[in-house]
Amino acid sequence: MANELFSEDTVYHTSKTTLEEIFDEVAADLLEKGLVNDGFLENLKSRERDYPTAMDMTPLGKDIPNISVPHTEPEFVEGTRLVPIKLEHPVIAHNMIQPTQEVEVGYLFLILNKDPNRQVNILAQIMDFFNRNSEEDLKAFLAMDDPKQIVDFLQGQFR
Amino acid sequence: MIKVLAACGAGVNSSHQIKEAIEAEMKKRGYDVHADAAMIKDVNQDKLSGYDIYAQIAATDFSFDPEIPVIDAGAILYRIPAMAKPVYDKIESIIQEKGLA
Repeated sequence: MANELFSEDTVYHTSKTTLEEIFDEVAADLLEKGLVNDGFLENLKSRERDYPTAMDMTPLGKDIPNISVPHTEPEFVEGTRLVPIKLEHPVIAHNMIQPTQEVEVGYLFLILNKDPNRQVNILAQIMDFFNRNSEEDLKAFLAMDDPKQIVDFLQGQFR
Repeated sequence: MIKVLAACGAGVNSSHQIKEAIEAEMKKRGYDVHADAAMIKDVNQDKLSGYDIYAQIAATDFSFDPEIPVIDAGAILYRIPAMAKPVYDKIESIIQEKGLA
């Protein structure tokens, strides 16, 4: 299953400085690739606005950036995939658990999930990934730029 | 059977994770708990009336009185046992208090 979750052509590195612009940029490419449909971008933005997805990574006790895990309702995607988006500059997002709290994030894991009953919960796996790996290994991963290297690394870590 | 409703924004990832975690842990503790995942926007008085406990990730802005205990389950998302434990303890104490078991 893991080799369906990642693909080199859906690994991104953006220099945009707001979530909205990043969503615009990535969604356009995903739409072109047929991985999402027309309603995706709007739902992604409105969902992030109403129910933000930043995770404050402080409790993990590692010197790593905070992440966001944006996603939409299943009807707006055409497949299941985990899309790593490396951020050149930190971006302001809001805490999933405390939506009024601003959180600066350094990496996004965009979740395309067509099947809500999918056994292997993607969000749970993302957190396990961060919990399980050492700060050193995580920093090495977060610094990666080559899509092939990123995909090879992640494939071994997710089901 | 004790029924828990877990809700999140898209009704897909977070609420499913909460649902599965609560069911597994409460089963370990000896309780028959069944949880459902839902989208916050679909949570109304009618829907809640079928449940004993409402588990939220972020504070839900109810326009009505939920009438069932509301717990903050967001900490479960971290997958760190020490953070999730207080949530499970809270569920357990509600089960005891209300004689739901």
